[in-house]
Amino acid sequence: MSAIRIAGGRVHDPANDVDGEVRDVCLEDGKVVADVGPQARRIDARGMVVLPGGVDIHAHIAGPKVNAARKLLPEERRADPLDRTELLRSGTGGIVPSTFVTGYRYSLLGYTTVVEAAAPPLAARHVLAELRDTPMIDKLFLILMGNNQVLFELIRQRAASRIKDAVAWWLEATGGYGVKLVNPGGIERFKQDNGNVHSIDDEVTGYGVTPRQVLEAIGGAVDELGLPHPVHVHANNLGVPGNADTTLDTMRTLSGRQAHFAHLQFHSYGANPGRTLTSRASELIEYLGDHPEITADVGQVMFGPAVTMTSDGPVSATLRDLGGDKWLNHDTEVETGCGIVPYTYRAGSYVHALQWGIGLELFLLGRNPWQVMLSTDHPNGGSFLSYPKLIRLLMDRAYREDQMGRANQRAIRRTALVDGLDREYTLNEIAIITRAGPARRLGLRDKGHLGVGADADVTVYHDRADREEMFATPRYVIKAGRVLVDDGELCRTEDGVLFSSRADFDPDVSRVLEPLFGERYTVSFAHYPVRDPALREPARVVEAAT
Amino acid sequence: MPELGPVTCAGCGLLCDDVTVEELGEDLRLRPECRLGARWFSERWWPLADAPAATIDGQPAEIDAALMRAGELLRRARRPQLRGFDGATVEDARAAAALADRIGALVTTGRADGPWPGAPAAPLRGISTATLGEIRDRSRVVVIWREDPETTHPRLLERLGFGSRGAGRVLVVIDDRDTATTARADLRLSWPPERDLDALVTLCDGDVDGLYERLAAVPHAAFVYGSGLTGGAGGQRRALALHELVRAMSHERHVVTLELPRAPGTRSADDVLAWQAGYSERVDFASGHPELVIATEPLDDVDVTLNIESGPGGGLVVGSASEVWIRTARAGVSAAGTVHRLDGVPLTLQAPRPDHAPTAAVLLTRLLAEVER
Repeated sequence: MSAIRIAGGRVHDPANDVDGEVRDVCLEDGKVVADVGPQARRIDARGMVVLPGGVDIHAHIAGPKVNAARKLLPEERRADPLDRTELLRSGTGGIVPSTFVTGYRYSLLGYTTVVEAAAPPLAARHVLAELRDTPMIDKLFLILMGNNQVLFELIRQRAASRIKDAVAWWLEATGGYGVKLVNPGGIERFKQDNGNVHSIDDEVTGYGVTPRQVLEAIGGAVDELGLPHPVHVHANNLGVPGNADTTLDTMRTLSGRQAHFAHLQFHSYGANPGRTLTSRASELIEYLGDHPEITADVGQVMFGPAVTMTSDGPVSATLRDLGGDKWLNHDTEVETGCGIVPYTYRAGSYVHALQWGIGLELFLLGRNPWQVMLSTDHPNGGSFLSYPKLIRLLMDRAYREDQMGRANQRAIRRTALVDGLDREYTLNEIAIITRAGPARRLGLRDKGHLGVGADADVTVYHDRADREEMFATPRYVIKAGRVLVDDGELCRTEDGVLFSSRADFDPDVSRVLEPLFGERYTVSFAHYPVRDPALREPARVVEAAT
Repeated sequence: MPELGPVTCAGCGLLCDDVTVEELGEDLRLRPECRLGARWFSERWWPLADAPAATIDGQPAEIDAALMRAGELLRRARRPQLRGFDGATVEDARAAAALADRIGALVTTGRADGPWPGAPAAPLRGISTATLGEIRDRSRVVVIWREDPETTHPRLLERLGFGSRGAGRVLVVIDDRDTATTARADLRLSWPPERDLDALVTLCDGDVDGLYERLAAVPHAAFVYGSGLTGGAGGQRRALALHELVRAMSHERHVVTLELPRAPGTRSADDVLAWQAGYSERVDFASGHPELVIATEPLDDVDVTLNIESGPGGGLVVGSASEVWIRTARAGVSAAGTVHRLDGVPLTLQAPRPDHAPTAAVLLTRLLAEVER
């Protein structure tokens, strides 16, 4: 494997306390090394900005939910085809691109690792197959466990050690990397009769458990197992006016344990007496400031088209009733649900503008960028292709104020954006929220930084005043020590690697799980685990800490 | 010979994975019993005596020679088409899509000689669906609309819990024919097909022969349908009306649908096409990128076809006059693979009687290399 010296660039590597230092970055055999010989390829990065490869901690790029959206929206991609070339497979783009296009476009943005944030364990084979067809990036997926009837039964029995074993068993069975809880208990209620839970103390009908118990039991299990990524929470009451109470309640429930909160923007709402949406972003940021064990990604809304896709079926039903043209629902036995509604965020809409403003508040009010990470919850708040624009909103106050001026003023006046919030993110802070922070939170020790031993995933940008243009068109993207993007063009393809995690568990848990499976699933226990090497391997397995 | 299994049966789209197979002389016994499953295994279980690995123009040939000829045919083709995929595995479909992309082929899933299934209605307004276990454990009323699963998917009613789970569940069958399924109905509605659209529209806000009352009285209901409702002229409109009905009823209760494919179905291939190309069922790569084909009949300018056949004598058939045939392993009997159940659940097919025949996926990958030479 050839060696590369990226020479003379301005390096932002916050995980190693390097903030804009002009230095060389050397790569060999897929890793960052201290030095390379004179034979190494030399990339002249003088005047350029050198960052670790981007790490997206929360997106929806593969699996039955994403594929259902593709089938639902053929017209959405018709205007955005990608031709095959000698190098590239063909495909279609739009907000929910086909797999190859997803990989290519993430790479063109300088991203090298992406998390699929919500996979039904029962569909693991499908998720893995799609990820195998998503090139250029390393990838990992989180399995949905917040509405799992088998776990509900173990929680009801207060079988804490069995829950821990079961979580580890499920990761082993699916190739998953981490655990996601979506509207704990609420999806099960929706699948029963269109119900939901409205507080974390509502009982899940028929199971004798509450969302709080689910959070404590599974969040606690993930914490005790020492999985590389803490429990990843999509809290109850997403999108509901006043849901900040539920979010804070959820955070307090997980107090003392490590936890990551997904798309916090959608969970930061207050309500005035008329149930009109208001912002409570400042309270949530304040709570985060006092609780370093909690992190979040923002789930920024970007004006324009989006596709809402979520395991949280009741949310999709609400969007359907708010005028959604197309609506797709799919219920997965024992485990979860799925809803899809195409959506457009309009700057003139009070609610949409407030959502936009709340997302920016979360970014700008936060004191610690390691705690608040960049996401649009792709494609829920907008496509990952809008990340450069979002970065510009954070780095360029004048641009932000111009955009604020185009949005619904009644909404903007209800945010802290109008209170002289003049913060502009630095390049180092952008490197934290798009690289170092997500990698650290995911427990990917070799990602998100440029220290010796790190994966040789590097993005080199022209240092342009227009930060949107800068981040939309990297000069070089290097993945595992190979140049994939040169001057805005893909010049090489890579399969990328799958990451999974592993924790020890008592194999005797199978004796507990098998009868519970037999009563509930229509797939036999013996055939549930994914064993096919073509789907599971190659993978890099990250061991739990304990 | 001892019982083998449990294994997954791909005799229909249900993919029952609790099946054991026992050789009894020249016969096979399946447990649980299933006429369709027994036939599916029997047709694939026994080695083909003296069958060549491949033929060229009907004469036995080596696989390498057959691939070379097939590659030549595809290279020269003005308008190649890949078709078949009934029962194809995910692995087969991934390899086929890669080949189609490379040669700019038209891809159509489904049997060429089958009835046109009707243009899909789901992309127009959406759809509500569920896996088998959801319907089994939650639906108090299940409406089977002009399908006969007792014949086409013999274990469907068992797998939906009829006969085992939950007293008081109601099976409604809408069909004017006397079928094995109508014989199982708790409520049979015998109106003719011409009345289907009107019934679907009326049910959105009114009763039709007591059906609405049944549905309105329960918290969870399911519709099972297929080409009996959505095939042929007007099929898309009827399918759309069904999805609109489900959407309208979903405000007050949970309502889902389950589509029955022609056995064993092309769900795996359609899912693969959707993720690789963005479209499913009929995708044309001729322009250099995927385009969704909206047509009711195969395009008539196709000059070379590659048929991916999963029938008893499964193989790849290439050429307008079947110039090349290459035997493939029988997924689910002699080779493993991944398949998607009719409700989307992915499952593994095992290989209870493995042999050395290459899978379609392996051959298609080699064919791609041949085309690229």
